Amino acid sequence: MAVSAGFKNDLLAAIPSLRAFAMSLSQNADKADDLVQETLVKAWDKHESFQMGTNLKAWLFTILRNEFYSQMRKRGREVQDSDGIMTARLAVHPSQHGVLDLEDFRVALEKLPDDQREAVILIGASGFSYEEAAEICGCAVGTIKSRVSRARTRLQDMLQIAGEDEFGPDAIAAQVMGSNAA
Amino acid sequence: MNIMTNDMGGPGAKRARTGGTNALGANSEIGRKLKQYYDGLVSEEVPNRFAELLSQLEKAESTQKKD
Repeated sequence: MAVSAGFKNDLLAAIPSLRAFAMSLSQNADKADDLVQETLVKAWDKHESFQMGTNLKAWLFTILRNEFYSQMRKRGREVQDSDGIMTARLAVHPSQHGVLDLEDFRVALEKLPDDQREAVILIGASGFSYEEAAEICGCAVGTIKSRVSRARTRLQDMLQIAGEDEFGPDAIAAQVMGSNAA
Repeated sequence: MNIMTNDMGGPGAKRARTGGTNALGANSEIGRKLKQYYDGLVSEEVPNRFAELLSQLEKAESTQKKD
């Protein structure tokens, strides 16, 4: 069966998302683009195993993720590069006026364990449901939920922001105003 | 009083899609930053090599089929 032109166009359309996911996983632009390239070649070869009408993006993300972890296993877990260590040592300072700097956030995100980072990316940014994320990661829905929850707590700790879901932004604002007035 | 007027939908209402936004909601600082971080990556310009790669795969396949 020939690969349809439609499939090729769908792959093209998915590339920006694939690159974003690859970048989130690998934290390295060159590695990310290699991952995307591998993913496209694999997807092309395996196109017959893709069931039309199902979620192509989830299927591609699964391929990319498997590729990422198999490369990691092959290389052995690489020692964090010196740049990474430097960034990790930079203290993330508490946000001022409740405005969190994007760079601080990126640094904190990089410090999350891989499984937690991928869970928050899939759920909080890529728009997948817990069920889809579980399928992509080959684990239980509950596992994804707990990873997201742990990641959220860790990010809040690192960035020193309160759990807004519990208290709400108004409560934080009130505390700030209160301490200023005191 | 008719419960069905509730916009949240009946018991069958799909909630999976929004499941993620409850934990990392758009109204939480972390949820917003996560989106901002990711959207920045998605909107980066895509190098030509990927489109070229797919064209090569397509060509390779069409020559194979002629055998």
